[in-house]
Amino acid sequence: MISFILRRLGWMLITLWVVFTVSFFLMRAVPGGPYDSERALEPEIEANIKRQYNLDLPVHEQYWLRMKGMASGELGSSMKKDYTVNRLVREGLPVSAALGLLALAFAFSVGLVAGIVSAVFRGSVADVSLMSIATIGIALPNFVVAGFAIILFVFTLRWLPAAGWGSLDQLVLPALCLGAPYAAYVARISRTGMLDVLGQDFIRTARAKGASPFSVVVKHALPTALLPVVSFLGPAVAGILTGSPVIEQIFAIPGLGWHFVQSAIDKDYPIAMGLVLLYTTLLYSMNLIVDLLYGVLDPRVEWK
Amino acid sequence: MPPRLAFALVCLVAMLGGVVAVVKQGQLPPADFTFNNDTEIESLDPAVVTGQPEGRIIDELYEGLVKLGPKDRKPMPGVAERWEVSDDGLTYTFHLRRDAKWSDGSPVTARDFVYSMRRFLDPLTLAEYAYQAWYLKNAKRYSRAARGVEIGDRVEVELLEPSADALPFARGEVLRGELVGVETDPGVAAEMLDDPAKFIDYRTFVVSIDGEEQRFRIGDRVPARAPTGAKPCRQLTLDFAEVGFRAIDDYTVETVLESPTPYWLNLLGFYPLAPVNQRCIETHGPAKWTEAENLVTNGPFRLEFRRLRDRIRLRKNPHYWNRDGVALETIDALAVQSLTTSFNLYETGKVDWITKVTPLIARELFEAEPPRDDFNPDAQFGTYFYAFNVTRKPFDDPRVRQALVLALDREEIVTTACAGELPARSFTPPGLPNYDAPECPDTNVERAKELLAEAGYPDGTGFPKIEILYNYEQQHQTIAELIRKQWRRNLGIDVSTRNEEWGSFLSSQRQQKYDVMRRAWIGDYLDPNTFLDLFVTDGENNATGWGDPEYDRLIREAKAEADPEVRIEMLAEAERILMREVPIMPIYYYVSRSMVKPYVYGWYNNLEDRHPLWALSIDRTATGPNDFMSSEPVREIKLNRREPEGAEQ
Repeated sequence: MISFILRRLGWMLITLWVVFTVSFFLMRAVPGGPYDSERALEPEIEANIKRQYNLDLPVHEQYWLRMKGMASGELGSSMKKDYTVNRLVREGLPVSAALGLLALAFAFSVGLVAGIVSAVFRGSVADVSLMSIATIGIALPNFVVAGFAIILFVFTLRWLPAAGWGSLDQLVLPALCLGAPYAAYVARISRTGMLDVLGQDFIRTARAKGASPFSVVVKHALPTALLPVVSFLGPAVAGILTGSPVIEQIFAIPGLGWHFVQSAIDKDYPIAMGLVLLYTTLLYSMNLIVDLLYGVLDPRVEWK
Repeated sequence: MPPRLAFALVCLVAMLGGVVAVVKQGQLPPADFTFNNDTEIESLDPAVVTGQPEGRIIDELYEGLVKLGPKDRKPMPGVAERWEVSDDGLTYTFHLRRDAKWSDGSPVTARDFVYSMRRFLDPLTLAEYAYQAWYLKNAKRYSRAARGVEIGDRVEVELLEPSADALPFARGEVLRGELVGVETDPGVAAEMLDDPAKFIDYRTFVVSIDGEEQRFRIGDRVPARAPTGAKPCRQLTLDFAEVGFRAIDDYTVETVLESPTPYWLNLLGFYPLAPVNQRCIETHGPAKWTEAENLVTNGPFRLEFRRLRDRIRLRKNPHYWNRDGVALETIDALAVQSLTTSFNLYETGKVDWITKVTPLIARELFEAEPPRDDFNPDAQFGTYFYAFNVTRKPFDDPRVRQALVLALDREEIVTTACAGELPARSFTPPGLPNYDAPECPDTNVERAKELLAEAGYPDGTGFPKIEILYNYEQQHQTIAELIRKQWRRNLGIDVSTRNEEWGSFLSSQRQQKYDVMRRAWIGDYLDPNTFLDLFVTDGENNATGWGDPEYDRLIREAKAEADPEVRIEMLAEAERILMREVPIMPIYYYVSRSMVKPYVYGWYNNLEDRHPLWALSIDRTATGPNDFMSSEPVREIKLNRREPEGAEQ
């Protein structure tokens, strides 16, 4: 198992390097730069700006300098704003992660229960209605869900605050809206997984030896049925932890998601690069954790 | 309990604990006054920022020689308690108050202002707004560094290393002397020598310091082709003593201008010219000195903390000289970007002032019944316009440009795509007390057709296909489509539209790769010059290729004119030329759309749409309209309604 993890970490470094290289050149292939503004800059100032951010060097030297910086864990400073990428991640990641975890907890619990109920009572009214809701949940973009939720809970019922950050009640709506599509996915995937498992021989054996229907479903079928859900959760966690630009925008959450979009618009190379690499690292580690969990959930899986 | 389940439970509890801890950290008691500052600001360094959101914060943290009043933006005593102007209008002498203090308790002196002005003009500071101080004698030459000096000038040479006793982030040691020669490297082609971006790469500067000639190269390294004995230096500029900004003693500052500038005091109240604390900057260095635990400022408020993308909290500065005149103890500036979210926060009472609402919401607010007691749009000092690229056919012909302007129906645009904006027929917006902007002719389709025929395109035949370029945003798109339809309908010409992302859009503008382009300009100070200066021949923000020697002469001579009435008449004459030649087509004037809670006092509508927070107070018991609702509007703003069906074609 140790060698498995080490090998995967080795691959992670290679992946990061490839992602870094591709992003580096893609960013510089886009026309314009971080200092475009409606007013023309004085040539002296423009030259000094380029010098300060090494934009006057040949591309291969810039590449080498940036790579050295990244390797030492120094993500650099924003080119447009007066803070470092490290500070941005330090302040934004916990917020995005807290919101993401709540959203995931909601998505996982609601989705799983709905999926299991649908599978066990396949073809019933409950199954059809739950799966219809799930389909709608997948199809509706979360800003639409957010719009309806705000009208209902903020302006009609007046139960919850409209936006902001700093108390638990401000988290309810964004977590709900962020988690809703994930809940729908989890419901559909767990239903399929459950149906698959319920038809297998070891379930029939368990039933035959007289286990109660509840124990059959929860003790015998559930762990195996969870496998597809877990493999879906890996990338989902990485995505949700790094924030959602749309939800953060609507609910004024000071997370990381907005920076992904804004840094691309501003052509703020260090922020964009730092966030892309952060996302790559998270995605890769989550997938690694998922692979390790496979072994825990399903005794037939071996780490090689 | 099986170990697996226990493990899962522990994980769950840890996760929930983490969530609660993170949320708890964000908890705060509410501030006395909360407003939405629209976005995360770029910096708290006054010298380097240019945006309105930055200005709102910096105006509270720092105080310049003068400050501008909340109502009519007239200069009031700031750190300077009084000043005198010489008869020729060139020399201003400012007397600083003795009780002005930095937030660490140390006194604000004339030396702080000299340090800040030098830093502001230094091209290494990267101050985009440096040109706002170029009215000072020799300031522009100082900002142009090595390209601004001539042989015989007194110069200062900044070495790479600071002197031994300097603070860690001080600038390099400065040597002063006389520039006695500039040597170009042998064998370098003439066009390389002329390239402004490479100016310093091929030159050696010979400076006589204390009677001894020394050779300097600008840059970290001296290249091999340089003459032997040349030393590297970071920068070579005109000696700052030559610039018209000096400290006469610890509490007297004198500014000497290039030409009489009636709005110089207003510019001194403009936030980029605010003083910064040398000790703070040189102790903590770039990026670190503006952090809350390090920042030292001299304004009515100090920075308590800044949470990225969340809020900036300001607290009253206990060392501020006029602390008793500041009513608010704490202010929160939120960084909410979405206008809908901002409005939701306002409506649920979490925010006391929002700076704008979407046109869609504005339309509802105009029609609200009973009428809103917190919404009072007013004219703003900005113009939305289209520019023609006169270097391309057919726009080189003024008759074609005039025809296009005459065929424009502004009423249709403001009723369809705007909410309360005023149709514009001049470049300088109305509202200046002493200036009536000359206008271009109003819509006249018949005359437009005649002009087009005279230009050789009767009924649009033979007129090349033209393209409107705009940056992608819903409103720009709607307007571009409307204008396309109007031109096609009225003139029979073929028009297409194209949008570009902001960066590409700007580079298209700069390289003049367009036919007709959407643009906008917001005045920097309350004078027609901030608009008209744009379109001098080859002006850096002209970008239309248009130029007119008479126009250039009027703008140039107006700068040197001491009589204000003659000066204003010269500017009006220039605008008359601009509106006759129409290299640009004014479309509408901007309108401010703030919402301010009825219990906020000291908030006034003004043309600049700038609202100092130190002037605000909260009174929840008072009745009757506050200053915002009762102030006399610069222009009456109404919602333009579309005519009933049938009027449309």
